[in-house]
Amino acid sequence: MVLSIVLSGLAIGCVYALIGIAYNVMYSASRVFSFTAGTLGMIGGVLGSLFILRMGLPVWAGFILALVGGALLGVVTEIVAVRPVLKSLDQHLYVLSTLALALIVQQFTAIEWSTDAQPFPRIFNIERNSFDQQYWLPMIACVVVIVGLELLYRRTLVGHAFRAIAEDNYAARALGLPERNLRMASYALAGVIGALAGFASGQMLLAFFANAPLLTFYGFVPVALGGMGNNRGAVVAGLVLGLFQQAANFLVGGIFASVAVFTVFILVLLARPDGLAGASAGRRV
Amino acid sequence: MSLTRRQALKSGAAVVAAVGISKPAIAQKDPILIGYLPAVTGPSSSTGIGITRGTQLAVDEINKAGGVDGRMLELIVRDTQSDPTKAVNATAELTRSHKVNIIWGPLNSGEALAVVPILARQNMVQMHSCWVDSLTDVKKYPLCYRNGPTNQQIGGAANRYAIETLKKKKVAVISDTTGYGTSSLNAYVPMIKTLGGEVVYQSSVDAANPDLKPEELRMQAAGAEVIMPWSVNAGFLSRIINTRGQLNWDVPIVGQTTLGSGQTQALLEKPEYWAKVYPNNFKPVCYDAKGKLPDRAAAFVDRLKANKIEMSDTLLWWIGVGYDAPFMIAEAVKNGGLAPEQMAGYWNKARAYPGVYGTVGFSADSRDGYPDNEVVMCEANSLKQGAFNLAPGYGAA
Repeated sequence: MVLSIVLSGLAIGCVYALIGIAYNVMYSASRVFSFTAGTLGMIGGVLGSLFILRMGLPVWAGFILALVGGALLGVVTEIVAVRPVLKSLDQHLYVLSTLALALIVQQFTAIEWSTDAQPFPRIFNIERNSFDQQYWLPMIACVVVIVGLELLYRRTLVGHAFRAIAEDNYAARALGLPERNLRMASYALAGVIGALAGFASGQMLLAFFANAPLLTFYGFVPVALGGMGNNRGAVVAGLVLGLFQQAANFLVGGIFASVAVFTVFILVLLARPDGLAGASAGRRV
Repeated sequence: MSLTRRQALKSGAAVVAAVGISKPAIAQKDPILIGYLPAVTGPSSSTGIGITRGTQLAVDEINKAGGVDGRMLELIVRDTQSDPTKAVNATAELTRSHKVNIIWGPLNSGEALAVVPILARQNMVQMHSCWVDSLTDVKKYPLCYRNGPTNQQIGGAANRYAIETLKKKKVAVISDTTGYGTSSLNAYVPMIKTLGGEVVYQSSVDAANPDLKPEELRMQAAGAEVIMPWSVNAGFLSRIINTRGQLNWDVPIVGQTTLGSGQTQALLEKPEYWAKVYPNNFKPVCYDAKGKLPDRAAAFVDRLKANKIEMSDTLLWWIGVGYDAPFMIAEAVKNGGLAPEQMAGYWNKARAYPGVYGTVGFSADSRDGYPDNEVVMCEANSLKQGAFNLAPGYGAA
């Protein structure tokens, strides 16, 4: 039982962490919490199944096209749902605009794809076992994204530019950085990360339009617990969430598992409103 | 030639009389208008597409045979797009603009829940095949007739099969957290106890939960001998079947029709996991132990083939229920009349109609026409040309 809890808990925790990172990447570039993050995950699974199973493309081609699809949706999010409301961030209109776009994409997927869960292909043709690819693929995806983002942010010029606009976009613009282009690139990057989460977890979550709200809600928990904009916090909180959720599944089961997860979530936020790894920002008065 | 005033009056009277006499004669040739409300697009469209094939065939056959005493049936079809709001709008159009004589449909319960009260207020005769129990009521909806089973009948057949036929007394009941899932669980658990079964485990789980191993381990620990899942979500049902396979747990799974759907099959990790899975079905459209359909259904399949109607992508009972409805309407018009109370009066007293899908009969006290003994269980992995084998234990059909 312990092995089952650890394996499936870590696997789903990695998916939550990746969606949390997608939230953070978008947030860092725009100060907007885009609720399309879960939709990006759902699209990764659906496009992977579409390209590989329905259209018969090779796995590598389906994988790349799914990530491209995620990147495009990320860019569309920035143009349609984020850019128009950036001037009135304090009114939190982005909540409505990003949720609306997420719902449109979700319903479009339901109509054009299916309202039933559809199969996702086996990525590697190896025999099923207790440590199956459906568990280790999300873990590998999570490690790749963490390492990749560290390298991007710390070792490349573009990464430094991303960090600059995340820290102070006015100053970054004053220095001549192309803020709008960098923001679009950040949304494209978030799209790739979200789609990767959906593709890597496709065998576990299936290609299902209703995964979008699930990932949107559960992916937000690591962001809130880990501290907004804090990727390391999101990863740790995502893994803890996955393990705790799976333990609750085994111990109390049914809908009580969700109740347990959200009870702990609320208690943690009551104790640490800025998240476990977050620091409260000073406000100039 | 001059025309006197008396002659003119006589001529006028003759013209009026002639027009007056000819009016009913023209009315007798008017088509019988059936407002038909299938969902042929959207989430519930697979059912609607199958039923529409049967309905259209029946209308064509009736009209080719001369209609009802020379009056043709005319289907006025409005696609509800699986949306209750659109179903309500289409209902208004059919009853007010087209002034149809009867409504056939909607074909899914969500739409029917919205449409049935509206038609009752308009005193319109309606036939539908939806399963939600509250969709018929002699007092509230006296002109609404159901030619399919109720949820009580569906659950009852599954419970009887698990407890009386398979002799599995210790039952695990699991549902998803939708309205359908939880209401089914709440309705069926007491029925199991009434039959002498013991519900050793019951749970409602989010249908999107990717890991159902904890649930099935608890079922195992509780000593369950049969799993009864209630959900229409193919992903949820396939996870139950897959998890049973992964655990090498040899218990039967007995439940909702979706267990036998192509969508569920597509999500199975191994084809052999589909063995010992018994979904609901209907005896008149199932293969018996010798692999034969009942005579009525076999003759119907021949007609479907002759008319080149596709069966491989749908279910025989869907086509059958669609086929039976226009014949039942035609019979009521022929023997009762076209007025609402005439059709209802006929159905309330008529013998049961021997349809392809079932032997459907109503009474003054009941608008639920499908017989209990024709709701059965079948073998999920036996689908062939839209029909399934009867589950073991039913014997010859």
